[in-house]
Amino acid sequence: MKRTTILTIYCSIFFLFFASTAFGQVQTRFRVIRASNVGTGVDPSLGDIHGQLGSLFSFTSYRLLKDEILHLSPNRPASISAWEGRIIIETTLERMRRRDVADLRIRVARERINILNTNVRLSPGRTVLIGGPKIREGVIIYAISSNF
Amino acid sequence: MKNSCSSVSPLIERYFDRQATDEERALVERHLPVCTTCSEKLMALEGLKNALKAPVDEALQEETFPWVWEKIEKNIRMERKPSWWNLLRSWLDLSYLLRKRVWIPAVATAIVLALIISPFLFQKTPSYLEASVVEYVESDTHNVMVYDLETGQVTVIWLFEEPEEETFSS
Repeated sequence: MKRTTILTIYCSIFFLFFASTAFGQVQTRFRVIRASNVGTGVDPSLGDIHGQLGSLFSFTSYRLLKDEILHLSPNRPASISAWEGRIIIETTLERMRRRDVADLRIRVARERINILNTNVRLSPGRTVLIGGPKIREGVIIYAISSNF
Repeated sequence: MKNSCSSVSPLIERYFDRQATDEERALVERHLPVCTTCSEKLMALEGLKNALKAPVDEALQEETFPWVWEKIEKNIRMERKPSWWNLLRSWLDLSYLLRKRVWIPAVATAIVLALIISPFLFQKTPSYLEASVVEYVESDTHNVMVYDLETGQVTVIWLFEEPEEETFSS
């Protein structure tokens, strides 16, 4: 009886611990886009940001290279590579300000050299585009949007 | 049979203390009217009793002991009705938890949990709608431009390798 009580208490504590860890996770959608002036057209899966891309940039072609959902945990970096691993974007969830507002620390490295460090705040419905690193036939654009 | 003092005298004290049997009491009561010595002995005992009792009674009258009675009543009540803490302990059967061996890991676990949870409890909650999405940006190798679309849903961070680069549409 007493052992059962102790076991129940410890199970409750560990459940609360892991539950809080699970609640601390954030799902974020990362899309890697290659923008260039070689060819024309926009990848159909970029329909939701096609208008923004067209109004912002002068490229004629937008191709989706990767589309991933990352489960970000506090202070655990997650990275996505592009252009055969030469460009890497590493994202870390710093904290959740509210249930639906996440502070992200983003680092972009090219050939293992940091080219950008930034902190952004992501909320539902918002997209952050990080672009500019040149590749053979254009530039890389990362589209980061909330999935929570 | 005539009652002699030698046989009655030892009974006087028992008679005085009301410890004599019915026969002894009858014997003493028959003897006392006819024996001055024994009567005087009984009177002496009564006198001694009064001498002891009077100051004790006087002291008791002067002294008040209501708090003693209150304390006794409280103890009686406690014996009749256990405290809520005792009820809770008996209900949860926490006696095992009150042992030192259990408390050490329990306290350690509580401290670890408090350390994990505390950053979330004490964080500030400013207004987000008016503040910028990009809080910080730094690049040693590129020029950086941060641009918010008018719709307010898209923010662009663009890295320029050369200042004269023309990537954005006019």
